[in-house]
Amino acid sequence: MRTAVSEFERGSCQYWMGVRKVLGAKFTLTLVLLLVTVTMMAGTNIIVLDNGASTIKAGLANSDYEHPRIIPNAVVRSKGDKATYIGHEFEQCQDHASLHYRLPFEKGLLVDWDAQKAIWDGLFSNQCLGINTTESSLLITEPYFNLPNMQEVYDQFMFEEYDFESYYRCAPASLIPHGNLFSEPDLPPAECILIVDSGFSYTHVVPLLHGSVVWRAVKRLDVGGKLLTNHLKELVSFRQWNMMDETYIMNDVKESCCYVSVDFRQDLEACRVNLQSNSIVREYILPDLTKDRRGRLRRAGETLAEIDQVLLMNNERFTVPEIVFRPDDIGLEQPGLAAVIAISISFLPQDLQGMFWSNISLIGGNTKFPGFRQRLIDDLRSLAPVEYDVSIVDCVEPITEAYRSAFAFATKSDGQLFKAVAVTREEYAESGSNASLRKFATSDWQAGGIDHSTSEAIQARPEEDRTPQLKKLSRTRSKTVPSTSTSRRR
Amino acid sequence: MVKKTRERHARKAAALPGLDPEIIAKRKKRHLDELERSNYSEPTLLNTEGDGEPDGTTKGRARQTISDKRDFERPGRKKKSTMNIRTAVLYRKNLSTLIEESHIAEYPSSVPTYLTAVSPPPRYPPRLLCSICGYWGQYKCKRCDMPFCDRSCEEVHNETRCERRVM
Ligand SMILES: [Zn+2]
Ligand SMILES: [Zn+2]
Repeated sequence: MRTAVSEFERGSCQYWMGVRKVLGAKFTLTLVLLLVTVTMMAGTNIIVLDNGASTIKAGLANSDYEHPRIIPNAVVRSKGDKATYIGHEFEQCQDHASLHYRLPFEKGLLVDWDAQKAIWDGLFSNQCLGINTTESSLLITEPYFNLPNMQEVYDQFMFEEYDFESYYRCAPASLIPHGNLFSEPDLPPAECILIVDSGFSYTHVVPLLHGSVVWRAVKRLDVGGKLLTNHLKELVSFRQWNMMDETYIMNDVKESCCYVSVDFRQDLEACRVNLQSNSIVREYILPDLTKDRRGRLRRAGETLAEIDQVLLMNNERFTVPEIVFRPDDIGLEQPGLAAVIAISISFLPQDLQGMFWSNISLIGGNTKFPGFRQRLIDDLRSLAPVEYDVSIVDCVEPITEAYRSAFAFATKSDGQLFKAVAVTREEYAESGSNASLRKFATSDWQAGGIDHSTSEAIQARPEEDRTPQLKKLSRTRSKTVPSTSTSRRR
Repeated sequence: MVKKTRERHARKAAALPGLDPEIIAKRKKRHLDELERSNYSEPTLLNTEGDGEPDGTTKGRARQTISDKRDFERPGRKKKSTMNIRTAVLYRKNLSTLIEESHIAEYPSSVPTYLTAVSPPPRYPPRLLCSICGYWGQYKCKRCDMPFCDRSCEEVHNETRCERRVM
């Protein structure tokens, strides 16, 4: 999987020794947990559900690794079909004109539980996954910095509505170390990883140290696929056809035509030459709604039918994804992605920063634009200290990487790893959301920045409410996490 | 109304006297909010027939949830939802209420939250692109601050987009 391995990382045996020590400690912990839980193991299904704001990636651990079900996380109304499609039903939709979307997510957070419940109900039903939730366990992703009151609603749904045997909830990037993105044969997983997760709502920069998210260094850029599609809609509607109500079509135009420029100035000049026949311009043939024909990119030399309506994609091809790198182009007062990464790294321990610059990877649908990776490397190179190597590990399927990593986590050690962190139905019945607050503490942002030894202490504490725990966490937070601290030695 | 010559002269300045920066900031904010919308136009009542209200509000009659209506067959499902679930599904709260009720604004500054994770403003000045054609926009409209590249784009701007007349 890895296409670029940094020299810095290879040459730094001091760090690897640190890694081994830490891994040793972690391994012992895992063994203990295994012993504790091995007697409780039963052969239950684990359902993996990457609950994105645009699409849900879901499947059963053990059977759907390569091919998760990918369904829109939306309730869609089609004017033409005079029908409403809930999540998985959308594949039956015939008329994609002027679709009305009801999305459970807004600005990266789950706000519409009515819509979300309907979509989940459909997903678990016989029409889709066909699983008995009361005899299954669940691994679900939640938004970065999910609100505490929302986390409680997640818990309520999983136990009070779906009645799962057990469940685990965490942010998508925290699962990546369990996948094979950074793994290499005969080597422990990278100690320092920096994930750029650019999805539908937002783009997050998420550093992970020893497999745990360093929350105080997680930074957000308020640009995602939704904003880009909407921006493209505006440009096209102003310049050519009114496409303001055609989100579905314009999303397809975006995905088939847009790219990230590696030389914005040059491309912008190239577009001025001849609007019809410069090196950049492409023609997108809009769908023929009377004939049930989908839109598509015009092939070279392809003759057009008389009824074909063509959308010219000129500088729109690259000025739209450019917003990820220059948010100021639309008046958003945030730095570009490379600068956000630099800011994130500046919150990390000084002696480890070089490792983060050289262990970056990209997940989420936005990172699929051609040129994204190269442009980011170029931009990062100009910001990184000269002595550091900048490299981005290639991710082949960025949309399903979190799902596949979650899958790997759920199936690892015969499900024991999952079992160790999941909250059970019984625990929830006994202490409600405090059970998940306690058990998910190692990966939750409210415990951000603390190391494992501290979070174990929290886990072992008797039940307590949110407030005292928070105070406690904020005290431990101020200290940085040393990679080779003596306290970590076995 | 100022004279044409003065207009020309003043164009290059970034901020002009008489142009309220607050109004410009408000317009920018409104535009950014628009870019977060799920739909451009709200559907007519006809379109949502059988769907309840599109925004999840009630209008007089007892409200049915989407899942009540579709009623997917799920193995092992319960007949009746708990009060917690019914509350979450029936009473939708908007994002700002949810954030307020989460009390994350009161967390100690050492705890990063949804509110503080956002990137700080950039150190470089914004790059200006023509709001009409997308090329470099070296001039700014004196009424609405939007950039444009040349005379012809300026005219299009004045006729259609100035102070957001269109769209
Ligand atoms: Zn222009
Ligand atoms: Zn104007």
